[in-house]
Amino acid sequence: MNAAGEKRVKVAVKGLYKIFGDNPEPMVDKVKAGMSKTDLLAQHGHVLGLNDINVDMHDGEITVIMGLSGSGKSTLIRHLNRLIEPTAGEVILDGQDVLKLGEQDLLEMRRKRMSMVFQKFALFPHRTVAENAALALEVSGRPMQDQKAEANKWLSRLGLEGFEDSYPHQLSGGMQQRVGIARALCAESEVMLLDEAFSALDPIIRSQMQDLLLELQREIHKTVVFITHDLDEALKLADHLVVLKDGYVVQQGEPQDILLNPADPYIEDFVADINRARVLRTRSVMKPLDGEVPAGAIAVNYDQNLEDTIAMVDGDTSKHFVVTQDDQPVGVLDMHDIMIAMVPRKAAAS
Amino acid sequence: MSTYSGIFNAIGLRDWCDEDKKPSLMSLANLRGDEPNWYDVKFPSLDNLHEACSKIPQTRDMTAGLEDGFLAIRPALRFVLDPLTQPLSWALDGALTAFTETPWWFLVPLLVLGCFFISKSIRIAGLVAAFLAFFLFTDHYTYAMETLAIIFVCTFICVLLGVPIGIYMSKSDRAQRAITPVLDMLQTLPTFVYLIPLIFLFKITEPKLYGMAIILYAIVPVVRLTNLGIRLVDQSVIEAANAYGLTSRQKLIGVEIPLALPNIMAGVNQTIMMSLAMVVIASLVSAPGLGTLVLDGINNLRLGVGFVAGFAIVLLAILLDRVSKAALDRINAAQADNQ
Repeated sequence: MNAAGEKRVKVAVKGLYKIFGDNPEPMVDKVKAGMSKTDLLAQHGHVLGLNDINVDMHDGEITVIMGLSGSGKSTLIRHLNRLIEPTAGEVILDGQDVLKLGEQDLLEMRRKRMSMVFQKFALFPHRTVAENAALALEVSGRPMQDQKAEANKWLSRLGLEGFEDSYPHQLSGGMQQRVGIARALCAESEVMLLDEAFSALDPIIRSQMQDLLLELQREIHKTVVFITHDLDEALKLADHLVVLKDGYVVQQGEPQDILLNPADPYIEDFVADINRARVLRTRSVMKPLDGEVPAGAIAVNYDQNLEDTIAMVDGDTSKHFVVTQDDQPVGVLDMHDIMIAMVPRKAAAS
Repeated sequence: MSTYSGIFNAIGLRDWCDEDKKPSLMSLANLRGDEPNWYDVKFPSLDNLHEACSKIPQTRDMTAGLEDGFLAIRPALRFVLDPLTQPLSWALDGALTAFTETPWWFLVPLLVLGCFFISKSIRIAGLVAAFLAFFLFTDHYTYAMETLAIIFVCTFICVLLGVPIGIYMSKSDRAQRAITPVLDMLQTLPTFVYLIPLIFLFKITEPKLYGMAIILYAIVPVVRLTNLGIRLVDQSVIEAANAYGLTSRQKLIGVEIPLALPNIMAGVNQTIMMSLAMVVIASLVSAPGLGTLVLDGINNLRLGVGFVAGFAIVLLAILLDRVSKAALDRINAAQADNQ
């Protein structure tokens, strides 16, 4: 979404540090003074988990936090609902510092304002699918009928009609995770945290679940925070992409932007193997419109990816395109621009 | 002269040692005036040091001192423990009366039905019926029912106390570190040894004397396995419970105890078996039941009596084990899921 600047910030992470060890507080100053993760471990025996994280998560957007294992992404998402307490920093939800909430307010916040989906599903094995889905409502003390109605509504929306009285172990992995998502949706929270929610599923199911999430998101417009180690998944889902490495943010921004202008070699490596034609959209590679639309140009939507654009003209390199947003021309594009965009920057430079 | 006299002389403690020395009998060695011989040198134990210096207490003074100390705090201990444990006596008396006074033609079908209800297995109900018939036929029925009554009461109290202790241990590492050595001690202490302080504390005619002994011995597995069961609950499920704002109470009742139930029930099974083991030994301190027959067999060299009673105990053990295992299996089957 181009209009990111106009969106309201729903969750803001400010100057967040997490250091694991016996006496982490004094270590924050050392890290702020520039001590590296390896030095901190070697000299003081403390592990630097998160280093000065600043991320704004906008209302109604999917923010994807991507990184390899050990980059701190799962630690970061657990700070949002305080499953892990930070060493220093702030987590602001709707202008309120989550870290200053009292015990009761924290429980209320977890029940009503932030829900979570887990990599290993983490369903209650001794409860039926419907009972699992209604967890947040049950905890908040909503009447039994409400719980049932709400759970059944979301379960059938996620294609689990008829499985309400089954137990989680009777379902496949993909179905179990749909129960996990139904549990999160039932909470009616504005923020949904998904911790590698699809990583345990096989590729086809994973792709289906991603489509399902995008489809749901068009209806419900939640603030979604999604953790993944898979760049394809990140690029498919993200409105805002945050790349973590060794506990700090290497680069964040619109995924298209990161792909076209990687900030450092780590990200260049990351994006090298990506199918760029499928990820890049015409708006990211077009030239701004100056003057007249060239004669004979083919209109393409500004959100269309390059793969589809090339397919439209059967790879004919002589064609020109005009990029439109809401049927208004906003830019021009020719095959030459497309070809250049398909080559990663590093390879182009060498 | 004893071996270590020289040392006390050398460090100038001789006067202190001999301060209130009574004229002692001369030992044979003293009479003979034997010189200490390096081959026979004795370890400086309390008794040997006492010989050299009468101020050093003998070992028997130490054990006597312990006894005196225990006797000194006995009134205070009794004052606290007596009313606290009185309900145990009432429960045991009540259960013994209920099991022995209820007519056999009512109690036996009731037990068989109860076992069927718990185990949901005709086979096990049949086994129970056959064993009870054996007890009736061989006139061991009343003894067996007394033993069973004691086991019922003691197991119930073990679960009542042991499960909360186990939960507390699972929630606090410090509690676990403090309680584990106590459990280890209760489990390794020879069973006769715990009877000794109890005999001092309570009158031998009181049922709570053997009740306490059985509970102390049999409570260990249910505590241990409750602790273990709750600690073994899948951490990702606990994390989900936290993420959805369950209070610790909701978490305990709604998630941890149900998921730990197979382990807790395994602990209850062990507790039942250990109660049975202890109730036999507790016949030494007037516990009624099959144990008294075994004791009679030992004391009066009646091989037949002891042997048949022993066999009856084995049958009772099989019966209790099968029924409680069947209950455990039902719980396991209901949860065979998560893994």
